[in-house]
Amino acid sequence: MSTPSLADFADEARAFLDAHATPRASDGAVVWGEGPDRVTYFSDEPFEVEQANVQAARDWQRTRFENGFGWITGPKQYGGRELSIAHDLVYDGLEAGYDVPDTGVISLIGLGMIAPTMLAHARPEINEQYLPAMFRGDAIACQLFSEPNAGSDLANVQTKAVRDGDDWVLNGQKVWTSGAQHAQLGMAVCRTNTSVPKHKGITTFLIDMSWEGVDVRPLRQMSGGAEFNEVYLDDVRVPDTHRMGEVDDGWRVTMTTLLNERASVGGEGAGPATRPTSRANLLAMLKATGRDTDGGVRRDFARVIADQAATEYLTSQMMRRARAGDLPGPEASVGKLMFGQNLTRIAHLAAEMTGPRMLADTGDWGTFSWNELLLGTPAFRILGGTEEIMKNILGERVLGLPKEPA
Amino acid sequence: MSVVPEQISASDLADLRSSLRGLLTSASDEEAVRAVVESETGYDEKLYDRLATELGLHSLALPTPYGEGYGMEVLSVVLGELGRFVVPGPFFSTVVLAAGALVASGDQAAMEKHLPGIAAGSTVATLAVIEPDGHWRHEGFTVTAERSGDGWSLSGTKAIVPDLLSAGVVLVAASTPEGDALFAVDTATAGVERTALRTLDITRRIGRLDLDDASGTLVGAPGTLTDLLDAVLDRATTALAAEQVGGAEACLEMAVGYAKVREQFGRRIGSFQAVKHKCADMFARIELARAAATEAARAIDGRDDAPPAGEAAAVAHSVCSEAFMFVAMETIQVHGGIGFTWEHPAHLYFRRAKADQLMFGGPATYYERLLERLGVTNETSTK
Repeated sequence: MSTPSLADFADEARAFLDAHATPRASDGAVVWGEGPDRVTYFSDEPFEVEQANVQAARDWQRTRFENGFGWITGPKQYGGRELSIAHDLVYDGLEAGYDVPDTGVISLIGLGMIAPTMLAHARPEINEQYLPAMFRGDAIACQLFSEPNAGSDLANVQTKAVRDGDDWVLNGQKVWTSGAQHAQLGMAVCRTNTSVPKHKGITTFLIDMSWEGVDVRPLRQMSGGAEFNEVYLDDVRVPDTHRMGEVDDGWRVTMTTLLNERASVGGEGAGPATRPTSRANLLAMLKATGRDTDGGVRRDFARVIADQAATEYLTSQMMRRARAGDLPGPEASVGKLMFGQNLTRIAHLAAEMTGPRMLADTGDWGTFSWNELLLGTPAFRILGGTEEIMKNILGERVLGLPKEPA
Repeated sequence: MSVVPEQISASDLADLRSSLRGLLTSASDEEAVRAVVESETGYDEKLYDRLATELGLHSLALPTPYGEGYGMEVLSVVLGELGRFVVPGPFFSTVVLAAGALVASGDQAAMEKHLPGIAAGSTVATLAVIEPDGHWRHEGFTVTAERSGDGWSLSGTKAIVPDLLSAGVVLVAASTPEGDALFAVDTATAGVERTALRTLDITRRIGRLDLDDASGTLVGAPGTLTDLLDAVLDRATTALAAEQVGGAEACLEMAVGYAKVREQFGRRIGSFQAVKHKCADMFARIELARAAATEAARAIDGRDDAPPAGEAAAVAHSVCSEAFMFVAMETIQVHGGIGFTWEHPAHLYFRRAKADQLMFGGPATYYERLLERLGVTNETSTK
C-alpha cells in the first residue's frame, strides 16, 4: 500500500474516530461552577480508581492499534504504519476533538521515550517480542533511572549488573519511578564497570517487571497520591538478550531516552488540569470571584495570561515546523520550562483569586480543589530533569557556554 | 486592510534577513550608530535613503498601488534587524506609525498625498498622540481642531512625539466638536513649533509639538479616531515586538560572547552556573518573545490558524517588552563593570528597551489593554 496523502489519512482517521469515540462537546463556552471540580495533575485517586483509568487507557490504545492508529510512525514489522510525523500530528489534532481516555500512562514514557530507545539499541528479537505489545497497550514501560544517589547526577548510578553466564544479575534500588505500579517493562540503567570514569561504566537493560526479585513500593508524594515508586532489584536475573547497546556503553543509550523525554514533556497538555487551567476558565474564575475589580489581581492575572498565551504560540509554532519536517532540537526544552512555570503561577493566581476559601473544603465549587494543582507544582521544576539541569543544557548545548570544570 | 497578504516562504524571509543584516553590519555598526546619534538629525540620512531606494524596505508592506503589499511577517524581519543594530532613524515613525495610520484611515486622498513619498523614503512622517499628562489614549485629547474656512485649525500640545524634528508631516490626534479625529499637519506650516527634547533612548529622537492655530487636513472622518488608533496600535505594537526581539537577540549574543572569553578565578565565567543559568533564562525569555512576535504578525496578516489580532498583539507587546527589558538588564550584569560604561554598547539597548516598553503607555497600560482584549473590562478606573 502506498503512503496515503495527509488529506486521505485525515478522512480515514475521522472515520475511525467517529466509529469509536464521541466528539467532544463544544469547549468554547466555559460555565463557572459546572463540570468536574478537579484540578488534578498528579492523581491522588485511590488505587482502584487509578487502575480503572489505566485499564481505560489500555483499552483505547488497543483500539487505536487494531485500527492502524496505535503507532503511526512505527516500522511495519512491529505493527506500525511507517507514516510521517506529519501524519502523526494530523491524527493527534483530530483526536483532540473527541472524548477519549487519557493514555499518558502508556504513551509518555513507554511509547514516547523507551520505544525509540529500543528501536535504536535493542535486538530485533526483543523488539519483536515487546514493541507490538507496548503499542497494543498490553505492556506499559517505566524508566528505572534515578537512584537515591543519582538524581541530577544520573551517571552516578550504583545499581550493579554482574555477568553470570548468559545472564546478568541486577542488585540495587531505583527511585522516583513513575508508573512502575502499572508497568510490565522497565528500562534499567546499571553500573557494570567501576574502574572507569562513571559515564563509561554504565549498561542498560530491559527487564520484565514480573521477574523474580523486582519489588515495587509506592512512594507517597507531598500532593497526597502515590504515582512514584521505589523499585528494589534483588538478584534479578536478566538474559543478555535484554541488554540494550554495548556493555559499558549505556550512557549513550540513556541519552537517547532523555532527549526524547525533553522533546515530549511540554508538548503534552496538563492532563485533567488542562480545562481548569485554560484561559477561558481562568477568565470565568476572575469574574466569578469578583477579583476583576482588584488592580493587583488584574496585573498578576494579565502577566500570567500573557505568558500562557505566548507559550501556546511557541508550542503551536513548533508543531507547525514539525509538520513541515523540521524537528525541534534542545531548544524545545524552553517549552517544558515555561509549561511548568506557567502551571505554577496559575496555581498561585488561583489561590490569590480564591483567597481563604482554599484553606478548607467548604464545599464551594472551584475553591479547595485548586490545592490539587498547588501541591503538585514543586514537582514541575524537578521532574524530567531539574530546572537547573535544563538550564545547564540550554547554556552548554544551545548557547555553547563552557562546561563546569570537572 | 482586509486583503490577506501573500504568504512568504521561510527561505525568502531568511534571504531578506541576511541581506539586510549584511548591509547593516557594514553600514550601521556600533561606531556608525554612535557617530550619527551625535549628529544634528540623529540618524544617517544616506542609509535611510538606501534602505528605501536600494532595498525598497519602506514600500515593502504598504498596500498596492503604493507598495508591494507584503504583510507584517515581512515587515517584522526588517524591524528585527533594525532593532538588532539599534539603527537610529525615523523608519518606525514613518512606515509603521504614520503610514499605518494613513492606511487604517482608509482616506484615499490622504494616502495618495503621503504614501508615495513615504514609499520612496523622501517623506519622513510621524504620529502625535501623547499629551502633557503622559498617557497613551485613544480618545479625549486636549489638542483641539476647529473648522476654519475649507480646512481645520489645530491648537494645543503633544508632549512626546517620536522623530518630530525630522518629520515633514505629523499626524495629530485631536478633539473636534464633531468627535475625535486625525489631522495631517505640515511641519513647515505657520503655527507649528517643534522643540527637540533630551531623550532616554539616544537612538530615537523625540520632540514636543506646540500648535497655535496651525492648519491641518482631516484624515478620515471625525468620530472614527478611537477605532483607527486601536488598529494602528495593534500593528505598531506587533512591529515593535519584532524590533524588541531583534534587540534582545543582540544583547544575548553579546552576553554569551563575553561569558565565553572572560576569565575570573581561573575559569571562563560562562562555566559558572550563576552566569550560565542567567544566559539560559535570557534565552528562554527570547524564545517566548519571538513566538509571541511571530504569532502577532501572523494574526495581523490574517492567517487562518492565527489567534485574533487584537489578542496576539497585546500578548506580544506585553511579553516582548518584559523580555527585552529583562535581557538588556541581565546583559549588563553578565558584563560586570565594563557593561556599565558609556563605551560599551549595552546601554544603547538598555535605553531602547525601557523606551520601547513605555512608548505606548507602559506596563500598566499594556496589561490593562490585554485584559480588555480578552473581555475583562475595567470598572475600577477610567481608561
